[in-house]
Amino acid sequence: MLQLVVGQLLNGVIIGTLYGIIALGVTLTFGITGIVNFALGAFMAIGAYVGWYLTDGLGIAYPAAIPLAVCATALMGLLADQTLFRFTRNNLINGLIVSIGLISVIESVLLMLWTTTPKNMHYVLPGVIDFGWFIVPRMKGVVFLVLLAVILATYAALTRTWTGRAAYAYAQAPEAALLMGVRTRLLETGVVVYSTALAGLGGALYASLYSLEVSLGSSYILKGVEAAILAGIGSVMGSLMGGILLGVTEAVGSIFFPQAYRDAYGLVFLVLVLLFRPAGLFGARR
Amino acid sequence: MGKSQHCRIALGAGAALAVLALAAFPAAAQEAVKIGEIEAQTGALNTYGWMSSQGMRMAVEEINKAGGFEVAGKKYTLELTAPDTQGNPQQALIELKKMLEEEHVRYVFGPFLTNVYKGIEPYADGFDGKFLMIGGATAIHFDLGKPQHGYLLRSWNWDAGDAGFGSLMVANLKERGAKKVAMLMQNDAFGHVARDIYAPLFAKEGIEFHEEWFEPGTTDFSSVLAKIAAWKPDYLFPGYTDAVLYDIVRQATEVGLTRFWLVRGSLGPGLKNKDAVDDYIIYIPKYFEEAEASEAKVKKFVADYKAFYKKDFPYDQAPLCSSSCYDHVFMLVEAMKKAGSVDDVAKVRAALLGFTYEGLWKIRYDSTGEEVFNFDVVDIKKGGTIAVTHFAPK
Amino acid sequence: MKPAMKVVLAWLPLFLVPLVLHNEVVLTILVFTFILGILAVSFNLIFGYTGQLSMFHAAAFGIAAYATHLSMAHLGVSFWIGMALAVLVVSALSLVVGTICFRFKLKEFYFAIVTLAFSEMARLVILNWGSFTNGSLGINLNSKPTLWLPGGSIPVEGTRMWYYLSLTALIATVAVVTRVVHSWMGRAFAAIRINDELADTLGIDVFRYKLVSFAIGNAGAAVAGALYAFYLSYIEPGYLSIEQSLAIVAMALLGGRDWVVGPIVGALILTALPHVIELSAEARILVYGLILIVTILALPRGIAGVFARRRRVL
Repeated sequence: MLQLVVGQLLNGVIIGTLYGIIALGVTLTFGITGIVNFALGAFMAIGAYVGWYLTDGLGIAYPAAIPLAVCATALMGLLADQTLFRFTRNNLINGLIVSIGLISVIESVLLMLWTTTPKNMHYVLPGVIDFGWFIVPRMKGVVFLVLLAVILATYAALTRTWTGRAAYAYAQAPEAALLMGVRTRLLETGVVVYSTALAGLGGALYASLYSLEVSLGSSYILKGVEAAILAGIGSVMGSLMGGILLGVTEAVGSIFFPQAYRDAYGLVFLVLVLLFRPAGLFGARR
Repeated sequence: MGKSQHCRIALGAGAALAVLALAAFPAAAQEAVKIGEIEAQTGALNTYGWMSSQGMRMAVEEINKAGGFEVAGKKYTLELTAPDTQGNPQQALIELKKMLEEEHVRYVFGPFLTNVYKGIEPYADGFDGKFLMIGGATAIHFDLGKPQHGYLLRSWNWDAGDAGFGSLMVANLKERGAKKVAMLMQNDAFGHVARDIYAPLFAKEGIEFHEEWFEPGTTDFSSVLAKIAAWKPDYLFPGYTDAVLYDIVRQATEVGLTRFWLVRGSLGPGLKNKDAVDDYIIYIPKYFEEAEASEAKVKKFVADYKAFYKKDFPYDQAPLCSSSCYDHVFMLVEAMKKAGSVDDVAKVRAALLGFTYEGLWKIRYDSTGEEVFNFDVVDIKKGGTIAVTHFAPK
Repeated sequence: MKPAMKVVLAWLPLFLVPLVLHNEVVLTILVFTFILGILAVSFNLIFGYTGQLSMFHAAAFGIAAYATHLSMAHLGVSFWIGMALAVLVVSALSLVVGTICFRFKLKEFYFAIVTLAFSEMARLVILNWGSFTNGSLGINLNSKPTLWLPGGSIPVEGTRMWYYLSLTALIATVAVVTRVVHSWMGRAFAAIRINDELADTLGIDVFRYKLVSFAIGNAGAAVAGALYAFYLSYIEPGYLSIEQSLAIVAMALLGGRDWVVGPIVGALILTALPHVIELSAEARILVYGLILIVTILALPRGIAGVFARRRRVL
């Protein structure tokens, strides 16, 4: 039993980073543009399908296909920002509904391009690392490290570069930032594009582990939002922590409770946090 | 505009109308027998509906291209109407009403989804005697033979019973020495029916049975699989669509579960993981890769598909064409010929139950209206060697 | 002409439709439209008038469907009592959910997320409580509502009878909502919608009115749930899905959230669209998404807004 729990603890951490990268996108978008982009799950699907298609359809080596998929997703993000999100800044309800509409648009285009038959990428890095007590599939470990690196790099960029600190300044006091020379329009668009790129990265990596369906992002965006709110919207490292907390709870919970209730943990957290500690577990560093 | 311009426009319009009128009434119109298909062609649960719609279109085209068919001295073509229900009972109900009330369709193929069937069943009961519904839904099995359900026929093998492949496969599992089987199934309508069918079968053979459920749409099974692995089952009985099977088989082999036993799904997941599995035993209506080489009709079907749709043949999905698909259209036409009528539904039904059709499959209906057809049980062993056993129930 | 006469004349043609048109398909679409119209109109009381985006409406719809059937099956009551019980159950639940949400002063967006969470939890409970609800297999309903007329009772059977039943229920719903909107309660709702903090400083009990609006709206959803379930004769956990909640939002937005009857237009379009325009399934999903986007960005007053000349007062 202990073996099982420890193994799932680690499994949960790994799964949590995938929730974390989406949560990061959610938190950045909210902090700078004032809306929650529910379509990030659909952007994750774009990254996954493009990554799969480049690798299995066009024969491009997977490590090269990933950045290409990320760029493709970011491009779509730019398009979405300029045509849609530009008009819903700081309007949470409108942003919510528009992004939900965008999900249908993206999913239908993916369907038209690639139909509903499930897609399965060839195994890029099969095999497991056996720790005796538990196993970690090699590719899953790679995905974990890449996502962790990206999240940490984002944190570093936000706290150490001029652009990053400008973003923080903007999030706290938009007019002041504007007066200090921050190109706010560019910043807003940049953040939307960056979050879709993060989602695209998550998707491209997802494709190496699981089979693809156009609605693959729907549970991830919900869990990304849950993780972001759990940790406190606005906190970069918090989104990683929130994701991990959620992933671990689901993984360990599935040992003791029916797998069927797996999605319920996140929902319960969500409600409890919003009611009792709206600033999130790690506080909001807006 | 001048008067001459008016005249020209009027003449032009008149000519166009005349052409349209002529085009709308072709010289010698052949009467068409309307058939309908009511399946989910898109959406999460569209696997069966998709292949059925592919096969049906081919069959209808083929029959019409050959000049139609003749019943009681008159020539007919087929007209297919195949809306997409998207797995939604409300939509399916309205589509069925359209088919039966407006288009006067008498032969409806589908549905395969149990929830769609249950949504349209009360309405369909009101049309008993006026049409036939030939569907693969598991819930149809329980309504066959009931009063007001004479319109029903089921186009899929029943798992249990004497001619059932399920009991056969469970017995076979017992012979292999299995003592513990763990099931990991979608928490939906079919999943529960599957459990209700198989749990007693396993109990009868004295095999210990453990069940776990997951939400459709799940892709990461690592935790529940680790839990199952701790119980050390002999075989894993995984969910019923390819979408989840690829993930379950891959992740199961990672935690050391290498023996699989399936009653739905395709060979794909087993083949993709062939170096990690020890046994991947699966019931499939037909192992197409082998049948293509050994059966002339199958070879022709594969070639026709490629020519018709201009894409690769879906070997993975093709076995699903055993339900309300290609063969069934031809079988219906045969039955109409035997009955000597295209609209006497009672006669056509009696005819359908009265003969065995030999197409891609050898199909007959038993006395309750449920199909019995030949099938294969495929065992993929480690490394990819494939052992096929053919079954031809009487 | 008195306003009451105008209203009667506006609805009268609808009563005549089944006498003139014998097309089963069109009548079926209209029955679904009316029932979903009740759902959308009651939702709009919460969303369009009080400004709260509730994602709990589908849950109210589904819970009522199950509650009606289960009370008929286990308590042996008639459909009407069953529906009344369902409305009570849903109202009680919405008071609980509403109290939790509004007591903690959740702003619109967080309110949407929390109601979504509660809705999903309700769906998971119904899905997994197999012994009580038959889980994902759903339940086929064999009983029918009965009407008591002089001379005996008759079951409500066939699309024509359902047409009149659902139309009457829709008119009743519209009447109730209109009454509420034009009352002091309605003015409080409007104040809350425009600026709830300001409303608070003006002395309006924001908590109470939000809760009342939420409860009345969900009661309407319960009525719709009972009717829908018995018309389709089949209930399943899908009634409580997120897709259903989103469809309701789309109906209200598309039809026009500024008018009581606006959402009915949205219900009509979304119910009839798949059957009028032969779109491929993918294209249909695309259109659905575009409806949500376009109505928010370009048509904030919905389709009714295109035709109506007056700006709404409240």
